Amino acid sequence: MSISVKLDRVLLDHGMSLTELSERVGVTIANLSILKTGKAKAIRFSTLEAICRELNCQPGDILFFDDEELAVEAAE
Amino acid sequence: MRALGKGSLASILAVLLHITRIILWIAFIALSIAIITIPVLPVLIKLVAGIDGGSFSSDINIDTDDILDIVLHFVTFGVLIYSINRLLEILKTLRFGTPFVKENAVRFTRVGFALMIGEGAKLMFGIISVIVDANLEMEIELISWLAIAAVFVLAAVFREGARMKEEQDLTV
Repeated sequence: MSISVKLDRVLLDHGMSLTELSERVGVTIANLSILKTGKAKAIRFSTLEAICRELNCQPGDILFFDDEELAVEAAE
Repeated sequence: MRALGKGSLASILAVLLHITRIILWIAFIALSIAIITIPVLPVLIKLVAGIDGGSFSSDINIDTDDILDIVLHFVTFGVLIYSINRLLEILKTLRFGTPFVKENAVRFTRVGFALMIGEGAKLMFGIISVIVDANLEMEIELISWLAIAAVFVLAAVFREGARMKEEQDLTV
């Protein structure tokens, strides 16, 4: 997937653990792990909103579009 | 009607399939015994009659019709037992609440091919019957071929269902 998630970096910047974020946004640790490890296929606006609210950041701080990855996928 | 649990359509169907499978196995074993014993039956009867001191003349005659019929029944029973086993596996996943998995799409595809082999065998034996001038009926049952098509459609639906389920599971 050419969209990558940098949740771990934002969490580190805010000194927050995944467990704490999970409690604050009401999403299970398992689901947040899926998001963190880049295995997620989609993210709900409600989840994104909750994460941005709790981490006081923008969606662009968490999600990145990787051009090179897209080229690799296209080549495959 | 409930989808899961006692009294559900799935549980009733599972019971019926289990019963059918037992009946088919009995028929399959009986057919196997018949295949082994029928050719040697006249000899056995002669032997028994000989021991008793009597005489015996056999009128048991196994012709091409019977051989074709027996082999066709073997194929049919095999196909049915195989299909029922796959359907029971599918029902098992339904009982555990995870019917939309890729494995079930594969199972439906296999059932479709098995049924196709069964129907194909019917046709093939019908053609052989015509060639060797045997008295085996050859009929093309449209409803059977429609059922096979329905099974393949189900397989495609389950494949798509599994894909959607996976996507849903990975939606955060």
